[in-house]
Amino acid sequence: MSLARAYEALRPKILQRLLELRSTLDPSLGRLDEDTARAQIGAVLDHVGTFITSGDLGQHRAFLHTFLAMRAAEAQTPAQVLAMLVAIGDTASQVAQEENTDAEGAELTLMLTRVTAATARAINDLIADELERRLAQMQELQKGQPRT
Amino acid sequence: MTTQPTLRVAGDTHVGKVRTTNEDSMIVDPQRGLYVVLDGMGGANAGDIASQTARDAIREFVTQRRLTMEPKALLEASIQYGSAAVFNAAQEVRERHGMGTTVVACLIVDAKRAIVAHVGDSRAYLLRHGRLQSLTRDHTIVEELVERGVLPPEEAERHPYKNVLSRNLGAKPETRVDVFELEVKPGDRLLLCSDGLYGYASAEAMQYLLGSGDPPESVARDLIDLALRGGGGDNITTIVLEAPQPPPSSSEVVRTSGANAWWQRRARFLQVAKERGITKNPICRALPPEEALDLVALSLFQAIFHDLEKSTGVNVWTFAQNIAGGWFERGGKWEALRGLMDILAMSARTVVDEVRAGDVQLGFLLDIAVSRALVVAELALGGLLAERLRQVDGDLIQLHTALQETIDIGGLEAAAGEASADVDISFTGDVPFTDEATIPFMRPDRVITNPGISAELLGAIEKTLTIARARTSPRAELVKQVLTSLQTIATDDSGNFASAVLAARELWGVRAVDDASIMQLFDALDSARIITASSVHQISVPDAVRAKVLAAISAAHQRLVGATTGLVLEAVAPYSERLKDAQTKTGELRDKVARAERKRAELERKFANTIDQSQPWEKRGATEW
Repeated sequence: MSLARAYEALRPKILQRLLELRSTLDPSLGRLDEDTARAQIGAVLDHVGTFITSGDLGQHRAFLHTFLAMRAAEAQTPAQVLAMLVAIGDTASQVAQEENTDAEGAELTLMLTRVTAATARAINDLIADELERRLAQMQELQKGQPRT
Repeated sequence: MTTQPTLRVAGDTHVGKVRTTNEDSMIVDPQRGLYVVLDGMGGANAGDIASQTARDAIREFVTQRRLTMEPKALLEASIQYGSAAVFNAAQEVRERHGMGTTVVACLIVDAKRAIVAHVGDSRAYLLRHGRLQSLTRDHTIVEELVERGVLPPEEAERHPYKNVLSRNLGAKPETRVDVFELEVKPGDRLLLCSDGLYGYASAEAMQYLLGSGDPPESVARDLIDLALRGGGGDNITTIVLEAPQPPPSSSEVVRTSGANAWWQRRARFLQVAKERGITKNPICRALPPEEALDLVALSLFQAIFHDLEKSTGVNVWTFAQNIAGGWFERGGKWEALRGLMDILAMSARTVVDEVRAGDVQLGFLLDIAVSRALVVAELALGGLLAERLRQVDGDLIQLHTALQETIDIGGLEAAAGEASADVDISFTGDVPFTDEATIPFMRPDRVITNPGISAELLGAIEKTLTIARARTSPRAELVKQVLTSLQTIATDDSGNFASAVLAARELWGVRAVDDASIMQLFDALDSARIITASSVHQISVPDAVRAKVLAAISAAHQRLVGATTGLVLEAVAPYSERLKDAQTKTGELRDKVARAERKRAELERKFANTIDQSQPWEKRGATEW
C-alpha cells in the first residue's frame, strides 16, 4: 500500500512531465489540447495506480483491451499504442527515480518499470489474440464460409 | 602527490634536455590552496633566483594575509609583492640586473571557486568535459600586437618576437597582473605549466593525457615525458589539479558493475533457462539441447549484457526481432514465442534476484535495467505482430471484397433470370434507363426490362451494325468500338445494365479527365448513333422489324451513353469536391477583397479630409502611403 501512496503522491508530477513531453510520446496526443490530453494520459495513470494497488492482471488486460480499441478507432495502430504506453511507463519511472532517492522511491521506480513490462507483455498478447482471430476468419473465408 | 579535501593535486618539474639548470619553480601548497608555476629568466643563474625569490615572496604573502584579504585581491597582491621582491633582489647584485620571472597561480577558495592569476607566458589550462581550453593569454609583444589589431593572428606564430615577453615579475617593482575567478565544476582538471611544456607538446596530446582519467601525479609526469619526447628544449613544470568527480550516475554503475555482475552469472542463467524447459520449447525443439541453449538463451543473455554496457536496448531489440521474425516466417504460433520469452525473462529475474541478495543497490539498478531490456524486447515483438496484423487485415479485405463481388454478381444474375421468367414486358425502347445519375450503375434492384429477343430481330441488329462498321472510316477505331458495344448491349437478352456498364468501362479504358479526351468519346458515341440510324434502312426486313431494330439500338445507345456519363461523373467526383472547395474559398476571398475595398475607400476619405485641400501639393506634406 505504501508504494501505491507514493505513486499517488508523485502522480501530478508524472502527469505534468507527460503533458510537457506528449508531442514526442505520441503525435496524436501532441495534437490534442492540454485538457483532452490530460484526460487521456490521466486515464492511463489512474489505471497504473489501480494496478499497483490491486496487482490484478486480468483487470489490467481488460483496461488495455478497451484502450487498444479506443485508440484503433482514432486510427492508431497497435504498435503505436504499445510505444505510447511504454513511453508513459518509462517517463513515470524516470520521474520516480529523479524525485525519490530513498529506498521507497527506488522500489516505486522498479515497480513502475515492472508495470511497463507487464503492460507491454499484455498488449502483445492482445495483438496476438486479434491476429489469431483474423487468421481464423481468413481460413473460413478461403473455405467459402464467410462469417456473418 | 598531496591530497586536499576537495582536490587531488600533483606537480612535477624537469630541467629538460638542453638546459643545465632548472629555472622553473613551483608551489604546491594544499593547506593554503595555493598552486604556482614560475619560469625564471636572466643570465648567470639569475633565472632560477628570480623564480625562487618570487615563489618565496608569494607564499609568504599568502600565508600572512590569507585570513584578512579577499582571495582575488590576495593573489594579485601576492604577485605584486613577488615582483617587488625580484626587482629588489636584482638591484642588490649587478649580475642579476634584468632578471625576472613569469608566474601562473591558482588559489583555491572552496570546492566551487578558484582564483587564477598570471603574468608572462606561463599558462593555465582547463579540461572540462574532455575538452582542453587555455584560460590565459600570453603576455608577449606579439600577443599585444594581435590584441591591438596591428598583427593578424595567423602571423603571430611566425613572428620573430613571438617569445619576447611584454610583462614579467622583476623588471619593475610593480607589474600588471591578469586575475579572474573560475567556477570549478566536478571532474574539472586544471593545468598550470611553463612554456617548456606547451612549446614542445601539441594541445591535442595534452588534452589526451589530461583526459585519460589517470591520477594527477601520473598525468603531471606524463606531460613532462611528452614535452621531453617533443625535444625538451626548455625547463618543464606542470601542476595538475582535479576537482572531485561527481558521484557515478546509476547508468554508469549499471554499465560497469551491473554489466560485470550480469556477465559473471551467465552459467547460472543458462542453467535456470534449461530447468525452466527452454530446450523443450517448440522454437528450440529442432535443435540439440546445448545448441538451443547457446543459440537462444545465451544470445539473449549476451544481448542484455551488451545493452547493459551501453545502457541502451538495441541488441535486445535485434535479438527479439530475429527470433520472432524467423519464427513467424516459418508459420510459428505466438504461444511458443510467448513461452520462450517468458522462460528467458524468468531466468533473467532469477539472476537479478541473486545479485540483489548480495548487493541490494546494484541488484536494484540491474533489476531496472534488465526489466527495461525486456520491455525493449516486447516492443520489438509488438512491432512485428502489428505488422503481421496489418498484412492479414489487408488480405482479409481483399478476400472479402472478391467474395462479395462474386455473391453480388451471382445474385444479380439469378434475379435477372427470375425476372425474365416472371415479367412479360415488351421491349418498347421508351423505358427510362437512367432515373438519375447514380453511382454505381449496377444496382441489383433494377427492373429487368428486356424479356427476350427473337432470332429475327437479333439477325437484323447484327446486319445493321455490320453495315454500320463497314461504312465507318478504317481510322475511326473508337467509333467501331462503340458499334461493337452497341451490338453487345442490344443483343444482350438478360436486359440489365451490366453489359452497358461493362462496355462503357471498356470504352473508357485509361482516359484522362479533360475535354479533349472525354469529348472524343462522346463524339464517337454520336457518330455511331448517326451511322446506325442510316444503316438500319439498308437492311431488307419488314418495317415492323426495322422499327424494333431501331428501337433496340437506340435503347442500347442510351444505356451506353448513360453508363459512360456515370463513369465521367465517377472520374470527376474528386474534382467536383475540389471545385466546391475552390468556389467556397473564392467566395471568401471575394468577401475579403470587398471588405478591403471598403476599408480602402474609407481610408481615402479620411485621408482626403485630413489634408488641407486649399494648400498647393508641395505643401500638403508627405504621407505614409
